[in-house]
Amino acid sequence: MKTLVLVSHPQLADSTSQQFLKASLPSEGVTWEHLEDQDEFDVAQEQQQLRQADRIVLQFPLYWYAAPAGLKQWEDTVLTRTFVYGDHRYPLADKELGIVVTTGMPEQAFQRGGAEGLTLDAALAPIAALAHRAKMVWLPTFPIYQFGYLEEPEKLQLVTDYQRYLTQKQPDSLANRQDWFAQRLTGMVDRLPAEQQVTGKLIASVFDQNREHLDQLTDTLAMIKEQEDD
Amino acid sequence: MTEQSTWLSQQIDQLATQQEKFTDRAFWLALKKVVAEQDRRSDQLGGEVDGRTWRPDRW
Repeated sequence: MKTLVLVSHPQLADSTSQQFLKASLPSEGVTWEHLEDQDEFDVAQEQQQLRQADRIVLQFPLYWYAAPAGLKQWEDTVLTRTFVYGDHRYPLADKELGIVVTTGMPEQAFQRGGAEGLTLDAALAPIAALAHRAKMVWLPTFPIYQFGYLEEPEKLQLVTDYQRYLTQKQPDSLANRQDWFAQRLTGMVDRLPAEQQVTGKLIASVFDQNREHLDQLTDTLAMIKEQEDD
Repeated sequence: MTEQSTWLSQQIDQLATQQEKFTDRAFWLALKKVVAEQDRRSDQLGGEVDGRTWRPDRW
């Protein structure tokens, strides 16, 4: 799967959260682009990148309940009417659109009665409408609330959650999570120093056994349910 | 948690601590969470199999 990450942030170098996410990017399968880095958008090239991606992720801090101006400028320049839906061709159809949004306020602020009084889904409605118009598949949003307050265990968790958001098959079910880890486990074990290899292999083998055991249980259960229906 | 899962969880923790790269440590710790989820799901599915097999009306 090819993922295109488009980051909009007016001062990227000063943003600890954006630098953290950049350092957390998966080693392959992801193209990363900073929109404000470009004085002028090469429309043909931007559109070509979109055509080639399976999943497009827009990543930005929430400024006044919307993305920074750089993203809007990119939308208005690159997502021309002819490109998105002109002539009844929909080059973005069936591609997934994900949003990674960082906020300065905590999670509970984004609900009715909360400090912001608005859900993130409501704030992101214009982008969701665009996805709908382009016949794209809208992914559940990946919000990062108050990055500055995260402790180390939460940051460690964020690394893998973010990587999975960019590259794991949706929906985020246990089956898809297991597949994602299984695809990477052998490579991760190989990278371990020699003295840690035995432990790594042991962990991988228990993980595989658990996975098979779950598959068997699911099959058994399906069989029982089938008999109950008879 | 079974004895095996407690032991496995300790092994993963130990391996994670030994990783120099932050992203590598993150991978192993996230894997630990999935293994715990496998255990929980396996318990639940096992329980459901037992529950559905126990059918006094078919005795």
